Amino acid sequence: MHTSAGRSAVLKRLYRSPLADIFQFVILVLLVIWFFARSTENLGYDWQWGRIPPFLFSFDENGLTWGPLMQGLMVTFKISGISLVLAFTIGLTTALFRVSGSFVARAIAHVYLETSRNTPLLIQLFFIYFVVGPVIGLDRFTSAVLALSLFEGAYASEIFRAGIVSISRGQREAGYSLGLSTLDAYRFIIMPQAIRRVVPPLTSQAISLIKDSALVSTIAIYDLTMQAQTLIAETFLTFELWFTVGAMYLFVTTILSLLVNHLEKRFKVSA
Amino acid sequence: MALNKVGDPIIRVDRLYKTFPNGVNALVNFSGHVHRGEVVVIIGPSGAGKSTFLRCLNGLEEIDSGTIVIDGIPLDEKKKNRLEIRKEVGMVFQQFNLFPHMTVLDNVNLAQIRVRHKSREEATQTSMELLNKVDIADKAAAFPDQLSGGQQQRVAIARALAMMPKVMLFDEATSALDPEMIGEVLDVMKNLAREGMTMVCVTHEMGFAREVSDRVIFMEKGTIVEMGTAEHFFENPAEERTRLFLSQIL
Ligand SMILES: Nc1ncnc2c1ncn2[C@@H]1O[C@H](COP(=O)(O)OP(=O)(O)OP(=O)(O)O)[C@@H](O)[C@H]1O
Ligand SMILES: [Mg+2]
Repeated sequence: MHTSAGRSAVLKRLYRSPLADIFQFVILVLLVIWFFARSTENLGYDWQWGRIPPFLFSFDENGLTWGPLMQGLMVTFKISGISLVLAFTIGLTTALFRVSGSFVARAIAHVYLETSRNTPLLIQLFFIYFVVGPVIGLDRFTSAVLALSLFEGAYASEIFRAGIVSISRGQREAGYSLGLSTLDAYRFIIMPQAIRRVVPPLTSQAISLIKDSALVSTIAIYDLTMQAQTLIAETFLTFELWFTVGAMYLFVTTILSLLVNHLEKRFKVSA
Repeated sequence: MALNKVGDPIIRVDRLYKTFPNGVNALVNFSGHVHRGEVVVIIGPSGAGKSTFLRCLNGLEEIDSGTIVIDGIPLDEKKKNRLEIRKEVGMVFQQFNLFPHMTVLDNVNLAQIRVRHKSREEATQTSMELLNKVDIADKAAAFPDQLSGGQQQRVAIARALAMMPKVMLFDEATSALDPEMIGEVLDVMKNLAREGMTMVCVTHEMGFAREVSDRVIFMEKGTIVEMGTAEHFFENPAEERTRLFLSQIL
């Protein structure tokens, strides 16, 4: 009796410790590797992982040089970063338009939202680059950023709007009864609460944006995906390159999630 | 008591009508004055239009017709007038409606800084005085969800007072509270009444009405049925409907 109770306590502690998590993770990774080994064995694929590192970076007499994949990653960063800021700005503005008292503002927001959300990003990208771009003189990069921002901004606006309408009427009225203007009530009472509530879905949206940015390769922007495609055409290292690129996207998005998680914990306010 | 008050009418309300889009007539030909320094208690059955009336007084609800003039300012379509009136009229809600993302102190500071344009130091000084007055200064750094209902409502009162309003509206300020917390909030309200604050209170607390009110208004179906001192109501109400209502709540 005594020993078995003692043993179960030890087991419990072991189960709760980080060791258990790590153990589970290792098993999962081993399973995945086994699965791929089996399937490529069937394909008779010749793995050449050794050729990948130079595509990431190399050392020579000039020191460290970034390879095409890292250069592509930088472009992906740049496009995603700018688009993210723009998309959230557009999203917030559209959300405010949609809850505003002005019929015109609501109508504009509505038309934008429905067109942007209900057509494929690829089509929007082509439309902006091939149709709008030449008319108003947009280069590749600007077209890409614009298309991404407008597309993701539509989704972001729905997220912001959901946050705004989730704040109870009493909050707004308490603000008004203190003499606050509508603008100030939004600025100091509604938006701070609404934005805290929508951080998780906004993070998902940011991750989507980073992944969707791969589509800019279709207008020949040398982002991470485009670099990979070019390298594959030259080297035929199809699986190695796609896995590497996949891992790079995963790495970036995971870092983003962890960062947001951390920030959320730091600024946690119970509502 | 009402007759002892020499103050001029600070709230003038004339022939208010308010119908909600769903066809409910919430206010029907509602007229009356409230004098400076007067404490008016409004009672009446659920759906009588008590909340609607209070909410019309500070423009949270729009009236269909009639006039509201508060301290000489007409509450009309002009945005400026509405904001001006809201600065002079404090409101305390049944559900407290404190801002959950701000500390108690910031809740009380907000309007002083953003509406009265005080400096943070000045605002904090006033806020701490008010928080002391409602006996909750020790919780200045706490967030609303760390407080009991009674404590939250006292903060809400301090928050409204921070604007130095000329009139305070209370809409069932104690109805959402556990019985043991009602007293502490009523005490704050009574002190305020004794200091000469003009108050319009919707409440079912007859003890409060008896103790501090100058006038009690019984309303039903959007209009005033009977009006008089608390003594009048408790000793010999004139209307049969008033008697019936009082017999139900007392
Ligand atoms: N926003 C609204 N839309 C439609 N009808 C409403 C609205 N607000 C109130 N009403 C209706 O107007 C009438 C008066 O409501 P009000 O809230 O003023 O009553 P009350 O006297 O405060 O009642 P209670 O004691 O229940 O708080 C009720 O019939 C109510 O259903
Ligand atoms: Mg009510």
